[in-house]
Amino acid sequence: MTQQVLSGLGVGLEAVTAEVFRVRQATPLPIPAKHSGDLVAEQAKLRSAVDQVASDLESLAEKAGETSAEIFEALGMILLDESLFDAAVAQLDDGWEAGTAFVNAMETFAELLSGDPTFEERIADIRDLAKRVAASIHGISLGLDLPETGKFVIVGEDFSPADTAQFTPAVVGVVTIQGGPTSHTAIICRSKSIPAVVSCAGAKELTNGQKVLVDPVGDRVVIGGTEADATKAISFVAKSTEPVIPVRSNIGSLEDAVAAATTAAEGVGLFRTELLYLSATTEPTRDSQIQSYTEILSACPEGPIVVRTIDAGSDKPVPFLKMPDEENPALGVRGFRLVADHREFIVSQLEALEEARKASGREVWVMAPMVATAAEAKEFAALAKAAGQFKVGIMVETPSIVYEISKLKGVVDFISVGTNDLSQYLFASDRMNPNLGAMLNPWQPALIASLNQIAIESKRAGIYSGVCGESGSDPAFAVVLAGMGYDSVSSSRSQVGAVRTALSSVTHDEAREVFEAAISGSDSDEAKSLALAKLVEIAK
Amino acid sequence: MSTVTATVTIEDPIGFHARPAGQIVKLVKESGLEIRMGKVGGNLVKANSPLGLMAMKGKTGEELTVEVDTEDEAQAQAIIDQIQQFLKG
Repeated sequence: MTQQVLSGLGVGLEAVTAEVFRVRQATPLPIPAKHSGDLVAEQAKLRSAVDQVASDLESLAEKAGETSAEIFEALGMILLDESLFDAAVAQLDDGWEAGTAFVNAMETFAELLSGDPTFEERIADIRDLAKRVAASIHGISLGLDLPETGKFVIVGEDFSPADTAQFTPAVVGVVTIQGGPTSHTAIICRSKSIPAVVSCAGAKELTNGQKVLVDPVGDRVVIGGTEADATKAISFVAKSTEPVIPVRSNIGSLEDAVAAATTAAEGVGLFRTELLYLSATTEPTRDSQIQSYTEILSACPEGPIVVRTIDAGSDKPVPFLKMPDEENPALGVRGFRLVADHREFIVSQLEALEEARKASGREVWVMAPMVATAAEAKEFAALAKAAGQFKVGIMVETPSIVYEISKLKGVVDFISVGTNDLSQYLFASDRMNPNLGAMLNPWQPALIASLNQIAIESKRAGIYSGVCGESGSDPAFAVVLAGMGYDSVSSSRSQVGAVRTALSSVTHDEAREVFEAAISGSDSDEAKSLALAKLVEIAK
Repeated sequence: MSTVTATVTIEDPIGFHARPAGQIVKLVKESGLEIRMGKVGGNLVKANSPLGLMAMKGKTGEELTVEVDTEDEAQAQAIIDQIQQFLKG
């Protein structure tokens, strides 16, 4: 069989071979149309579509918890409402085909219900029901309809959180046409250890049933390839028992902390506190914060724990903060900028952390996200020092703060670089825009140059520097970071072992050589291949 | 056939929404009886249609008339009590 190579950006280290399963594009419903005159046939079509959707709802209800099950049950009854069916039959009599007739009939009820805010969501639900029935009549699938058994590489444009929630155990590989290394798809695949290739334009050509090799290390998909063709990950062989710089773990919950403690992570480099509050509708009390922080700090792997104060905004909403919608949420009031309206909450976090620090006996560092000026850094440092005995720092993720690192001497003890947001702001490329994935590749020369400057400036100012963004989870890139002079990296939990091995396979001088190779690249592909070539040479 | 008539109150803080409507329709269908509901003094609809019930747009605190066609007063009362229970949310 002839092989064909499609290039993209790899996520993960393992390769996999399986059959392609193309996720269908959400096809728009056909425009309203009249039927051919066969009323009996149209009515039969309508009845069977309604029954089909009702049985789909039943199976959803079975999978859902108690409260949601009742909602699905209620929706099922609405669907089977005889007055609705009668209204749809009247539409058939007017000549509309079954799908259009059902949508029109539902619309008359939707209009009856409209104008009342408590029903707005229900109206969306019943319109969605009508859409499902029409889709079923026209043979259009609205869900991903992923197979439950077997082994498949699923291929699609990009996958939303609602899509990835539907991933079944049969999904052994993922290929997306759009999306970058920090897309939702990439993050989920990395955390679930599903081999993936994103930003793979050539994947448009893939068809169901083709056997493909998903080769993330080679940044490619090979049609007709087998696992024997997979690019070997540079097999890092640890030369010493200790990595050149410490490898910490990123966490967001008690479960993460417990799991991180089973890895070789040396402490925690990023504890995302907002993940505790994503569904909180009322502000967590000081006592509840003390309790959850104490449990989490106590469970963390040995070593310092870097806690980030709440990083929310209208793009990452936390219900109790009641943040208004913004035109450009990534450029809006988020991270430490919340101090203007929610100073008491940030202070209560810091005070609760101090109590938790004392109760757990752990070494706690605190940092603020989304700091754009030295003045903001000073404001945060003052709040943190007043609240407790912490090492105090800031995230470096805006280009502006890079130019003020020298002014942070004596103000903060450490900085931690968030490479995902730094890329987004440096390249003016929305992280959520699937067309801009290539800009967010960590091997982009301008990002490497910026990271290098941050390392140099921090060293000059006597400030400890670390990296906690996604790029610190890539073993080869972690070596580049060590070569720049960063003092530690923090990786996603599943990558701690691999990053630690990579950093144990080189000396400081060798890491420096790998960094110098990377920074000499003229584009991201060249930067990566030069760095990998240097690593192979060192391993010999 | 005689009809048992009663008044119930919507106590659910979010009004007469999909869940109680679904619960009532299920109960009505299981009973096999004809049951009608509507705002006191307004038009009544057959309580086997969740959309009809929701279209009343019943708000918290509003009273509804319930009519049950049956000879069995005890059964009617049990159904009415159950409907009142569903309207508590």
